[in-house]
Amino acid sequence: MKKQSLLLRVLVLAYVSALLGIPLLFVFQQAFSHGWSELWTALHDHAMVLAILLTAKVVVVAVPLNIFFGIGASLWIVRRPSRLSHVLDVLIDVPLAISPIVVGLILELAYAQNGWFGPALAKLGWRVMFSLPGIVIASIFVSLPLVSRQVIPLLREIGDHQEQTAATLGASPIRIFFTITLRSIAWAAAYGVTLTLARVIGEYGAVLIVSGNIALLTQTLTLNIGANFDNFNSYQGFVGALLLAFVSVAVLLVIAVARHRLERKRHDSFA
Amino acid sequence: MTVSLDGVSKSFAKSLVLDDITDVFADGEMTALLGPSGSGKSTLLRIIAGLTPLDSGRVRLGERDVTSSPARERHIGFCFQDYAPFRHLSVFANVAYGLKVQRVPRAQRKARVEELLGLVRLEDFADRYPHQLSGGQRQRMALARALAIKPEILLLDEPFAALDAQVRGELRSWVRSLQKELGITTVLVTHDQSEAMEIADRLVILNEGKIEQTGKPSFVYDHPSTDFVAGFLGPITTLWGISYRPHELELSLDGDEGEKATVTDVIRLGFEVRVVLTNQTGESSWVQLTHDQAKALNPSHGQRYVVRPRSARGLIEQGRTKQARS
Repeated sequence: MKKQSLLLRVLVLAYVSALLGIPLLFVFQQAFSHGWSELWTALHDHAMVLAILLTAKVVVVAVPLNIFFGIGASLWIVRRPSRLSHVLDVLIDVPLAISPIVVGLILELAYAQNGWFGPALAKLGWRVMFSLPGIVIASIFVSLPLVSRQVIPLLREIGDHQEQTAATLGASPIRIFFTITLRSIAWAAAYGVTLTLARVIGEYGAVLIVSGNIALLTQTLTLNIGANFDNFNSYQGFVGALLLAFVSVAVLLVIAVARHRLERKRHDSFA
Repeated sequence: MTVSLDGVSKSFAKSLVLDDITDVFADGEMTALLGPSGSGKSTLLRIIAGLTPLDSGRVRLGERDVTSSPARERHIGFCFQDYAPFRHLSVFANVAYGLKVQRVPRAQRKARVEELLGLVRLEDFADRYPHQLSGGQRQRMALARALAIKPEILLLDEPFAALDAQVRGELRSWVRSLQKELGITTVLVTHDQSEAMEIADRLVILNEGKIEQTGKPSFVYDHPSTDFVAGFLGPITTLWGISYRPHELELSLDGDEGEKATVTDVIRLGFEVRVVLTNQTGESSWVQLTHDQAKALNPSHGQRYVVRPRSARGLIEQGRTKQARS
């Protein structure tokens, strides 16, 4: 029995390192292959710096919007269930079910110059496709369920007795939200936010279509990396990949902490 | 402060949960809403608290009509069956919550919370978190939290159901004496008739959304007005098709008035002995004897006795007559 479980562990570790560890090491090895000064120069590559700035802009807009939407939708679905909220509960998973490239095509259909809303928006002077708004919309769309899918089960589990007790103690709905509800779901929401962050930074397919992938203008970091590989500039691509890898490790660390805290909260059993 | 209910009705998805409930819970009294699950007792408690809206009827606290006031304006202490501790707050902060809402200054707040923690004997647990407390301690914390805002009405939903038997007994008598000490009008929901009999000044017995009977526990026990109440509050047995409490029947070796029957089973439960008898036509009754009575009679399987009621009239019949007179 012990030997079997040891074997199983070795197999799992080998499988994970073959899939994840070795490719990651390869990225590091490639990025450092030309020495420190080359790396320093590559880190200052104009197109890549602009791409990082664009990705940062998208994160700053899309992540907070998804926090608001995710928590709001969760409260609606769990605390005020109705036929409409059930529909939302199902629809919210759509972005997980369909390929990002299809999301991109749908957005193009809607917002392109000859699309459903494109002409009306153009009259108002707004352009969605091939610009920041389009990239933001695509990013929000693909990461839509990530906060609420963490928050909904927790809201269901803790029930509404704490909130109702607070009401009998004289607390207003806003006060109850901030002092009871938000405090209870904070770690689940934080976990959802880190997932959203990772998804927004890493998104490729949907953003590729709506942004038009114009260097120096609408290229996010992932698109920039892709473009460098396509243009036989793989060293620069690996440097970009190295940066993404660092972000991923940071996000993973935050996820690990948030998950640990969340598990602990759940294990504070009240049976 | 009195709680007056006037024609309160409530349906959930077309099924009537409360049907025209009218009653008054007297100032300073402990009332138990007693009934089986699904009788509507918890819904009635939530309606009084303002946590569930009613379909029709009025709710008055003292002179004040609160029918359309939200829970936070009713100033009622409410404790859930699961105690609903604020999990992320310390015991101190839990109890202080309502005072903070009322903007009671820090120093006064501290003094009041310490006073309450003393009252519920949790002085040494102020810095603990709810998950570090036992069930009984959590319940006392929830009580202190509800009492912090000095409510004039306290509502308790199945307050002892989640506790083990020993703690339950202790807490019951403690809650009872605390309620008397504070003189706070209290309504308690329970499905446990012995709990209701022990703790309440007055019972309100609910069945299928309607009030079956109200009154002092001992009176209702002895004079139930319906078969439901009779059976819910205590054991019943039948003789000649009439309901009796099993201790109201007596056994003798001979005699003319009474039913001749044969012992078919004897169940000894320590302090009480249950004797099951069957007459010639196959109808069976059971008689509850005290330990001493059983010793004197020494009933055993196959023995013949004459069974007769101590009082001529049956349980429900007595109840109805008394009710009509009072």
